[in-house]
Formats: sequence, C-alpha cells, structure tokens
Amino acid sequence: MPQVKREMLIDPLVDNNPITLQVLGICSALAVTSSLQVSLVMAIAVTFVTAFSNLFISLLRNQIPSSIRIIVQMVIIASLVILVDQVLKAFAYEISKTLSVFVGLIITNCIVMGRAEAFAMKNPPLPSFIDGIGNGMGYGLILLLVGFIRELFGSGSLFGITVLPTVNNGGWYVPNGMLLLPPSAFFVIGLIIWAFRTWKPQQVEKREFTIQTAEAH
Amino acid sequence: MGARQFFDRIEPNFEKGGKWEKFFPLYEMVESFLYTPKTVTKAAPHARSFVDMKRIMTYVVLATIPCILIGLWNTGFQANQAIASGLEPTGWRAGIAGIFGYNPANPLANFFHGLMYFLPIYITTLVVGGIWEVLFATIRRHEVNEGFLVTSMLYTLILPATTPLWQVALGISFGVVLGKEVFGGTGKNFLNPALTGRAFLYFAYPASMSGDSVWVPVDGFSGATALAISARDGVQALAGEGISWWGSFFGTIQGCLGETSTFAALLGMAFLLATRIANWRLIVGCLAGTIGFSLLLNIIGSDTNPMFGMPFWWHIVLGGYAFGLAFMVTEPVSASHTNMGRYIYGALIGVMVVMIRVINPAFPEGMMLAILFANIFAPLIDHFVVQANIRRRAKRHV
Amino acid sequence: MSDMPDAPKGPIARLLAAPPDSVGKTLFIAVALCLFCSMVVSVAAVSLRPVQETNRLLDKQRNILQVAGRYEPGMNIPEAFASFEPRIVDLESGTFTDQFDPASFDDAAAAADPELSIALTDDPAGIGRRANYRTIYLVKDDNGDLDKVILPIQGYGLWSTLYGFIALEENGNDIYGLQFYQHGETPGLGAEVDNPRWIALWSGKKLRGDEGEGSLKITVAKGVPSPDMADFHIDALAGATLTSVGVDNLVRYWMGEDGFAPFLENLRNGGV
Repeated sequence: MPQVKREMLIDPLVDNNPITLQVLGICSALAVTSSLQVSLVMAIAVTFVTAFSNLFISLLRNQIPSSIRIIVQMVIIASLVILVDQVLKAFAYEISKTLSVFVGLIITNCIVMGRAEAFAMKNPPLPSFIDGIGNGMGYGLILLLVGFIRELFGSGSLFGITVLPTVNNGGWYVPNGMLLLPPSAFFVIGLIIWAFRTWKPQQVEKREFTIQTAEAH
Repeated sequence: MGARQFFDRIEPNFEKGGKWEKFFPLYEMVESFLYTPKTVTKAAPHARSFVDMKRIMTYVVLATIPCILIGLWNTGFQANQAIASGLEPTGWRAGIAGIFGYNPANPLANFFHGLMYFLPIYITTLVVGGIWEVLFATIRRHEVNEGFLVTSMLYTLILPATTPLWQVALGISFGVVLGKEVFGGTGKNFLNPALTGRAFLYFAYPASMSGDSVWVPVDGFSGATALAISARDGVQALAGEGISWWGSFFGTIQGCLGETSTFAALLGMAFLLATRIANWRLIVGCLAGTIGFSLLLNIIGSDTNPMFGMPFWWHIVLGGYAFGLAFMVTEPVSASHTNMGRYIYGALIGVMVVMIRVINPAFPEGMMLAILFANIFAPLIDHFVVQANIRRRAKRHV
Repeated sequence: MSDMPDAPKGPIARLLAAPPDSVGKTLFIAVALCLFCSMVVSVAAVSLRPVQETNRLLDKQRNILQVAGRYEPGMNIPEAFASFEPRIVDLESGTFTDQFDPASFDDAAAAADPELSIALTDDPAGIGRRANYRTIYLVKDDNGDLDKVILPIQGYGLWSTLYGFIALEENGNDIYGLQFYQHGETPGLGAEVDNPRWIALWSGKKLRGDEGEGSLKITVAKGVPSPDMADFHIDALAGATLTSVGVDNLVRYWMGEDGFAPFLENLRNGGV
C-alpha cells in the first residue's frame, strides 16, 4: 500500500502530468507564469485546493446525490478557492495583487474538477487527498518550469533576483520581451511537451491517419 | 562530368548499409542542388508536371532578385543620405564601405554599402537555419530541400538592416524549428516560416524591430517609417517628410532590407504569375479586401485617428504590403488550396492588414500579422469550401 | 416501520441513510452544504477583513512614500507616513476644503459621482470624468515646514489607465519624482514607465519657467531638446511611443488649468 501511494504522488509529475499529458489547466499556466514567485504561489494554491476538494468530496461521496453532484463539487471547490483568496489578500498582499483574478479562476481549473469527478467520487478519502496533492504538484512542476524559463530569459532574473543584468539597467542582457507576454507560455509548454514525449515515447498519441505511400506508376 | 562521377562513386557510402548512412540527407542535399533529383513522387497526388519542388523554389528565389537589387541600393542610399547629412559612419563597415565613398548620388557606393548589411544577415541566416535543417533531416530521415533557400532569402529581405546578428540567428531558429519542422517539415508547415521567425523577433525584441532608429543603419539616425508618420499625423504629413507616392512605389523610403520597393515586388509577382507558381486568385482576393475595407474606413472617417483617411493606393505602396503580397500571400503551402478558398483567404489578409494598420494603436504595420493570422485560418476555409461543394453536389442527386 | 429493527431514529439520521437520489436527500444535501460553505466563507472574509484593509492602506502609503523618495524596504510604513498630511483640494479654486474628511474621502468614487465631478469634453488624458476634489499629500520636513507636495495623476496610455503620483518641491514647480502604481502597459516597452532609470529622468525637471510663471512647458518627447528646453524635456521611452504620449498628456493635463494649476499658483503665492 505505501508503494501505491508513492506512485500516486509521483505518477502525475511526468507520466500522467495534468498539463503535458492531459492538457488541462492551461489558462492559468499562461497567465501567471511570467515570474517564478507568482508561479510558486499559484502552484501551492492549486495543490491546496485540489487536495482538500478531493478530500471533502471523497468524504461525502456516498451521500452526494448524482443529480446535483457537479454543483456540490463546485460549491466545495469554490469555497476553498475563496478561502485561499482571502488568506492571500490578508497575508501576501503583493502576490495577490499580481495574481488578481487568477486565484478566483482556480474554480474553473479543469484539473480540480477533473480529479474530483474522476478520482474522489470513487475512492476513499486518504488516497483522494494524496491524488490531489500529486496532481497539484504535477501542475506546479510545469508552472515552475515555465516560470523559470520566462522569468530568466524575459526579465533576466529568478525569484526577482537579477541573474542576467539587463541592458535597460546598465547590463548586457537584452531581455526577450515575448516571454513576458502570456502567449509565449504556449510555446514553452509546447516545447516541454515535446521534451517529455521524446523522453517517454509511450506518451505520444497514435496517429489518426497515415499518408499512404505507393510506388510510382 | 567529373562531379557526376564523383557523386556516383561516393553515393553507395550514403545508402542504406553504407558507412555514412546517417548523412544521406546531407549528400542528397548537395547532389540534388547540382543535379536533377533521380527520385519521383511516391505519395498521392500523382500530378505529372515538369515543375518539381526544386524548380518551384528556384523560381521563387529568382523572383526576389529585383527586390534584392533595389533593396541593396536603397539600404545604402538611406545610409549614405544620413551620412551626407552630417552623421559619421561607424563600426567595421566604415572601413570597407569607404572604398566607394558615401555619396548618395553614386549608385555603386549605395549598392556596396547596402551589401555590407545584407550579406552578414543573409550568411547568418543560411548558416544557422541550415544547421537546423540538416539536424532535423538527419534525425528524421527526410531530405533537406530547397525550400530553405526561399525561407532564408525572404527572411533576410524582411528584416531591418540594423538587426543584430544574434537576433537574426534566434529568429531563423524559431522560424525553422517552430514554424516548420515541428509540423513535419517543408510542405506540412501551416505557417510561413520566414514570417514566423520575423514575428518572433517583433514580439521578443521590439526595440530592434520597430521604432524610429532601426531603419537606417547609421548610428544616431532617427526617423519614423512612412506608416508611423501616417499613424501619427495622417497621410498628408508624408509630403512634409519628403515621401512621395512614387518614391514609395519605387522604394526609396525607409524600411526593411528588401521590402520597400513596390515596383520590384511587382516584377517578382509578374514572374511568379507567369510561371504559375503564384495563384492569381490569392492576389485578387487580397487586393479586393484591402481596397474594399479601406474605402469603407475612408467613408466612416474618424476625428481622432488620421489613419482612417488613408486611401488604398497608399496602403499598397507602404510598409511590407507589396512584398508580402508577392511572396508571402502567394506561398502555396500555407495558403488555402481550393479556388474559392483562395479568394476568401486573400480577402481575409487584405482586410486584416488595413484593420491592424488603422485600428490597432500599437502596430503601425500589419502585413506580417495579417498573413500569419490568415495562415491559421487557411485549413478551416478549405474545410468549409469543400463541405459546401459536397452539399451542393449532393443536392443534384436527390 | 416497527418491523424494521434497524430503522434509524431521528430525522437527520434517517436522511443520511436514505438513498442519495431521493428528493428529500438531494434537498437536504444542497441546503446543508450551502449553509456550511457560506458559513466558512463568511467567517474567513469577516475575520480577515481588518488585515486586508490594513494591507490596502499600507500599499497605497508605500506608493506615496516611494514617490517622495522616503521608502526603504522593511521600514515601518505607518510611522514614516506620519509626516505626510493628506488634504482635499478643490481643483476649481485651488484651495483646501474641509468639506470632506481626508481619511475617508474616496477619489475614485468622487470621480464617478455626478455631484462631485464634471464630464470632460476636451479630455487629453482620456479619463472621461474628472472629480472636483482630489486628495493630495503635504510632506513636512523635520522642522514642520512644507517640503514636498504629492499630487495624484492618472490617464490613458496605450492599453490601460495609468495611476500614479507626482511629487513636487515646495515651490510647486520643480519635479521631485514620479511613480505609477497601477497600469497595464506592454511588458518590456510601455511598462518601462516603472523603470527606475527612466523615473530618475524626471527628477529636477520644471513644469513652467524658472519662477513657475508662464505656460506649461514640461513635455515627454523623443530626441535631444534645444538647450533652452532641457529643463522641461523628458526623453520618451524607447519603442513605446503611445505610452509616452499618454504620460505626456496626463502629466500636462493634471499640471494644467483643468488640473492642479490653480492650486500650484496659490502654493507659489503662499495662499494655501
């Protein structure tokens, strides 16, 4: 059993990553990854919400009427998100200002709903909780990777500490402005998916069709 | 035929089982560059034509020659004019370009000065892009083909002369890898790789790709492009800056290396149309879109945005419009493939150019973005055209 | 019923044991969950509100401290802010008014209130409505004499409204500093309005002629100014023409007759 639980934590990091394999939760991955610090806070917030929504939904799973189960899940998730938002505003005001609406938008993050519906509704509380943490960490791993690349090459710093002194501040590094724009995360995530699938070829989807080859006539 | 014999002798080494099997694409590239390829099309459709990929690509490169020549002259002309007005030539080029002097009235001096900027960018593009091409060809076992020669030439011609070479290298890497190779290589790219690379630089390093000091390669020179001036003060202000319609038509204005001359682009376009590489429907659609939409904006008018009043004949000669129309809109791979689709695709570009130029406050030029935008829609347009055709024909058999 | 020995007693226990899809159970779960969640959320919101309010206030005070050049990371903000005196200015007459309490006056609400603001027809800063009253801050030096005045400014750039403060020396003409605390300009281009090196360009510039007389001369523009304009010229941001034009417009608007000019006139003449 401990072995299984370890796998539940490790599996969503690379082998079954919610962003790179299931391609969920892209919206916030685009919006908040221009700096590492914000990515980290977002990753923690999503991990918290996924873990506890999984836990509570799993506790209630035998009582939830199937006709209103999505609404019940949403209410639980939304309450947790509001809680996170309020706490951030109270204790990490600067970061909550940069995250702005994206904390609120965790409610619509498909990873949270997806794990609640696919896992927590069918499994006991403890595994559900661990599954939530695992998936949150899988999401967080990609967020941090993207944030690392975007902050390092976009602003020449990591966690706000200058690594590559930029030209505007008297240094030599010309920052790549595109990485500061949200769409650049598409490219970065795409390249990460490419890297993951080269590393783990079993993740590559089957071709829907092949172009026929024939001998010339 | 020493070379032919040489190739025949070394060829077995590169074939399956040969000791340099892995480097077959490299061998094939050099060999087919010099001789007609021996292979024939294996995949459908089996259209029989003397026009093969190699010939198409060579024709496109030939068609850009007027743009290259006028571009070289104009780049030097703009630089020499700035020097004549009192600025000092700087950098390593100053020593070499001085051979012919800096007289803007001397075509040879202009030409040579322009070459000093064109060559480093072009060589960087060829080397860096070539490395990526060969790398992918080797790993993926497909052939290196002449498409890259077109991409690298077009890419060079749409860069400002002052682009730092490391940015040139980054841009072409992005264009070749993310604009083409990730989708499977030449023929499978739905975006124009040259424009993808250019767009990357535009968003990544806007200070080197737009603004007032990048167009003329002399230190300390600052001057807005015709489009930037019109965006600020209206098209009437151009005369005050010494920019006439005919000047823009022949390309004696500030702009990227090879895209300022509408005249040269038209020559290239005529050649591509005559050889049937460019499809005239694309061009008609694009012109119709631009003329229609700019007339509409002329009628609507605006008190605060002088670009609303810009007539279509100015839209066509300014910025990269003509160059884009001749070489990018007509690119067969990334355009629509159905005849009806080609009109729609062209019109979409024509409308979007005017829309971006006039209505978007941040981008004075819109040709690049409009073409990339339409590239993305091309398969969708084709899909609907095909569906409509199927429905129409199905009705006949009720 | 009585012949079912394990039948649960009590209404709640019975509901819990009921099949999940019965109508009663569905209603029960829905109501109970909503009640519970709303309680959790309200408790969190109410109990954390004081901390959040403090944060918002601190954030604003920190921006004002920054523009006055009095901010250092880790400092006690309320203490440093004690030497800043908020006052409400009537823009029309350029005098202080005691009509409102500076502690509770809300500039944003005043700008939206038709009673307290005017709709602009000539609107270079792109703000739509202008409040008739604005909160400004007087900074005193150690002797209690006026050192700087800090005036709120805002206006439209390329994509967004920029909100900031401008700090003037006690003569009401020399610029001490400028700082925007909220905007949505393009990262790397327009967003360079936050760059300390660009902000430093403002320091020491003048709004009007030497004595503060005459017309408004301050401009944000490209290129090298003529020598007699050097004191009034701030080099525009590279590659961000429209943001620079926006900043130019908004500074000129707020320092002009429609903005704080009457107040600054009074300040120079010692009339406030």
